[in-house]
Amino acid sequence: MNTFFSDWYYLSIRNIKLIWRPLLALLPPFFMPIFFFAVNSLSLSALAKVPGFPDVSYKDFIAPVAIFTAIFFSAGNAGIELVQDIQSGYFKKLIIMPINRLAIVLAKLTEIAVQSLGQGIIMLTLLLLWGVKIQSGFLGVLAIFAILIIFAMAWSCIGMISALRTQNARLVQSLFILVFPLLYLTTSQTPRALLPSTFATITDYNPVTHIIEGIRALVLDGWGSPDIGYAFLAAGGMFVVFVTFTMLSFRKALK
Amino acid sequence: MMIELIIGKSYNEPTAMSNDSIISVKKLRKVYPGGTEAVRGISFNVKRGEFFGFLGPNGAGKTTTINMLVNLVKKTSGEITIDGLKLEDHLDEVYKRVGFAMQEVGLDEVATAREMMQLHGRLYHMPPFEIDAQIAKLLKLVELEKVADKFTSTYSGGMRRRFDLALSLIHKPKILFLDEPTQGLDPHARQLIWAHLRQLNKEGMTIFLTTHFMDEAEALCDRIEIMDNGKIVTEGSPTELMKKHNAKNMEEVFLKTTGSNLGDEEVNANAPDPFTRARS
Repeated sequence: MNTFFSDWYYLSIRNIKLIWRPLLALLPPFFMPIFFFAVNSLSLSALAKVPGFPDVSYKDFIAPVAIFTAIFFSAGNAGIELVQDIQSGYFKKLIIMPINRLAIVLAKLTEIAVQSLGQGIIMLTLLLLWGVKIQSGFLGVLAIFAILIIFAMAWSCIGMISALRTQNARLVQSLFILVFPLLYLTTSQTPRALLPSTFATITDYNPVTHIIEGIRALVLDGWGSPDIGYAFLAAGGMFVVFVTFTMLSFRKALK
Repeated sequence: MMIELIIGKSYNEPTAMSNDSIISVKKLRKVYPGGTEAVRGISFNVKRGEFFGFLGPNGAGKTTTINMLVNLVKKTSGEITIDGLKLEDHLDEVYKRVGFAMQEVGLDEVATAREMMQLHGRLYHMPPFEIDAQIAKLLKLVELEKVADKFTSTYSGGMRRRFDLALSLIHKPKILFLDEPTQGLDPHARQLIWAHLRQLNKEGMTIFLTTHFMDEAEALCDRIEIMDNGKIVTEGSPTELMKKHNAKNMEEVFLKTTGSNLGDEEVNANAPDPFTRARS
């Protein structure tokens, strides 16, 4: 095997082990999305009867948000893990090995992709058991996972960039608060038609809106909506921008 | 005999070098952003197979120097040659030739010792059969065979240091850099590390040691250089240095040449982590 691919592979395996060691660390990212999904779908179900709301149940409307949120919460851990590796000295051990630096970044992204896929499968299974139906079928499920994984890798880069630039665990951990404006300044809880115009305009500029709308289209409508393409564009755009900045940060840090 | 098997014929092909120096440093200088000159144009050589001590008070520039020798910190100017290879031109080749047990032990807390060693062997692109053989030998050397499959987070301070030493030897390096390898260890654990180091050196490994313990330097090193304020202030074997400075022991030599009290630690707000320094 080419040394670049073998470095990537072995580092990925090491990182993937971090996902379930310890096993209990897997649970917290599920708690809040399931809690909010359960509470909101029960307490706000009457919203679905408001004129202007799409012809679906509120539970189905917010189901994509539950899957998305679980991945959103956990993807930020990549930065915290990187700070831990830097502070413990483990990262220095890696950078004085004859390995390709790009492999270090790609292995981290691979870990996030695997983690997102696993969480996505668990969340989707729970939602299907709750009665949610995916109109776009099996291929739609694959498309949902693809959007989520691309987004998760992009979002994990924010944590990694902060880790490389600050090496401060508290600061990297505090980036968690960014999840809330990014998640709630969207159409996650209410359709655009029911939002005040200023709020609606803000949501248009939030890439997370387009990702949620794309997943929602796949869950509720099938394959006809242009929102699916916009979701891939938004996630892909974030991926390109943030991975580029991560590589620049790595290069700067390692020179 | 054990070590013969561990370093034996190195995993890396030997490189011829003039006058048998394995490390050659010429006019090495480091100026940090903000203007602090941590290392002021030092030059020295380390001979092949030598146990070399690099001492100095806190803030003397030792860690900056050792970090420059493995490119964790970028030099401002000067020349570093490792085993005949110019550092900046042959980084990967140099990394194959050196092992580094740092001040921070830096273990993967959610991996076992065996898993970490396997990973490191693979990242050094060693053949799997050679990795397994090396793991068995190194774990025996540092007396950690029984806990090889336990998570490293369960190890005591001494076990962590010994494992870190074994880990830095997985790829059969020719040169071992040690930055304060016995810091924070009890006398028994220190003696164990000393025994391992003596054995490695006896079998031909070049060891570059920085330490704050003068008894350690005196007991282990063939030759010592003392650094103060970014410059090398004296050099020689422990016996030569004691004679030259009319001192009873290395601690006295140290105090006479640097004027510092051991353990007189200062906070240097301009000295970030070496990893941060690497950015500059």
